[in-house]
Amino acid sequence: MPTAISHAQLPGDLVALAQGGCGVSIASGDDNGAPVVGLGVGCRIMPGSVVRVLLGQAANAAVLLAVELQRPVAVTFTATRDHSSFQVKASHARICPACSDDLPEMDRQSVLFQDGLVEIGYSRVQAAGYCAYDPADLVALELTPERVFTQTPGPGAGAELPR
Amino acid sequence: MTGLRIDGLRRALEGVMASVLATCDADGIPNVSMISQVHYVDPEHVALSYQFFNKTRRNVMATRRAIVLVTDPETLEHFRLSLSYEETQIGGPLFEGMKAKLAGIASHHGVEDVFRLLGADIYRVQSIEAVPGPVVLPVANRPSLLAATRRTCSALDGCADLEELLDCVTACLERDFGISWSMVLMAGAEAGRLYTVASHGYPHTGVGAEVALGEGVIGVAARENAPIRIGHMTREYRYGAAISDAARRHGIVCDAPRLIAFPGLEAPRSQIALPITEGGVVVGVLFAEDDEINRFGYEEEDALALVAGHVGARMSLLRQDAADEVAGDATAPVAASGQVTLRYFRLDQSVFLENEYLIKGVAGAILWRLLCEHRATGRTEFTTRELRLDPALRLPAHAENLDARLILLRKRLEERSACLRIEKAGRGRFRLVAACRVALEEPDAGEVAV
Repeated sequence: MPTAISHAQLPGDLVALAQGGCGVSIASGDDNGAPVVGLGVGCRIMPGSVVRVLLGQAANAAVLLAVELQRPVAVTFTATRDHSSFQVKASHARICPACSDDLPEMDRQSVLFQDGLVEIGYSRVQAAGYCAYDPADLVALELTPERVFTQTPGPGAGAELPR
Repeated sequence: MTGLRIDGLRRALEGVMASVLATCDADGIPNVSMISQVHYVDPEHVALSYQFFNKTRRNVMATRRAIVLVTDPETLEHFRLSLSYEETQIGGPLFEGMKAKLAGIASHHGVEDVFRLLGADIYRVQSIEAVPGPVVLPVANRPSLLAATRRTCSALDGCADLEELLDCVTACLERDFGISWSMVLMAGAEAGRLYTVASHGYPHTGVGAEVALGEGVIGVAARENAPIRIGHMTREYRYGAAISDAARRHGIVCDAPRLIAFPGLEAPRSQIALPITEGGVVVGVLFAEDDEINRFGYEEEDALALVAGHVGARMSLLRQDAADEVAGDATAPVAASGQVTLRYFRLDQSVFLENEYLIKGVAGAILWRLLCEHRATGRTEFTTRELRLDPALRLPAHAENLDARLILLRKRLEERSACLRIEKAGRGRFRLVAACRVALEEPDAGEVAV
């Protein structure tokens, strides 16, 4: 009997957070069950709550390999200003080439992210360096969230959002 | 281990840029979150803060594996550290060091009431990977901490007595390290207290100001015999207003008239406290602070720990030099002109000069003893040795801090510009100078048994 996977719908505030210039962290696991970790440049939420994360290939080889091997994926989005955060998880993801639509959106989100970092005390050089990326190196990782968790530090951290 | 070493990555472990921690559960489902602290333990280990029993924690307990991505705040290089969980510590120097840092970080991010350290999770670093990406060149003209340490230690070697040594170290911190605000506190004979004997850079010296064991970075460093530092201001580790509360909590009678204000900065953003030890026992604390965020890193901690260690070694040597001195028989007639009234309270050995609080504890008892003897015999020269042997002073068996008490007393008298002074008269010898008559009163003489 096929397993029914219920896809989580992302509420509007989380869509705004994910696309508002935030920290994007990605994890998966290798063949031995060991975790792998990477950083995304930004994110687009596509129709059907498909999460499209843009990331550099050179810096994220282990994550991309895990995705190719159909390993489960987790992505956490963290806003700089108030540390609000959420995590999406999916049993698999797919790798797609970056497209021309992605680049202006990544530029926009990068500027917002840098402004947020400066606002909480980082220097402009630190913010720019942290957010630096090579457009030619970008690749997209698409996943459909199956579970969504709040990650904002505090008593409710880790709570799952209803599907 | 790869060619990269944790020692070379310590700047990335200061928590300036948030780190990213990933784990997997037993079924291989990953979890990823930002974390506030990856703490350097030794060349093979780091510690992560355990604050909540969350998914990360459950995964670590199940698989004992994690990977963390850290960022150098200067070069913006990223590094991935593959980790293997070993143990959790819920107390001790490492835990306290992480707790203090976490309090600063939490305060900086406005989540002071949310972050609470439950444990320090110790991990062995299995491998380190430098993440390919753009890198900013580091600043080339940074001053050498090793050279600064050498210059300071060399200056300390030239000091002839304890007072000179303590004043020299705070001056050298400014000269050699560019640290504008610093002080030295000594562990008191009274259990659980430290008192200020030297300070540098503050509008008032605060000599005599006390800190309770376990209070602020100073008190925690003394209690744990470990360096403690904070890179952000936090009310949890503040001094000042909290001091009298802490005193009351500890059951110490310490009412307002007998308090000397702590001289520290109003709004410090970085603080560091390093224990000064002799034979492994904490005898004092070297403290520095700054109004800049993250002023003291791992490298500064190491350098200042060496300086504090050298201060402890020099203190020990100076005491040995002074141990066998004998007093001269100098006397002077009691001064004829002018008069001040000095009151001594046996209860806490406090001394009030013309109704203003001067000193208490051992230093107060010493002053009272000197003045009583001077009144009776006219004697003006004394030795630290005879004070050590005087049972009336109630000194502990190992009166390591007597010299520091005399410094405290001398500086307090000097600050008051009173007609009373204490002057050095040679190694292990000092002279009481009374430029006017001193009326001695002991209001509670009949109430408290000595």
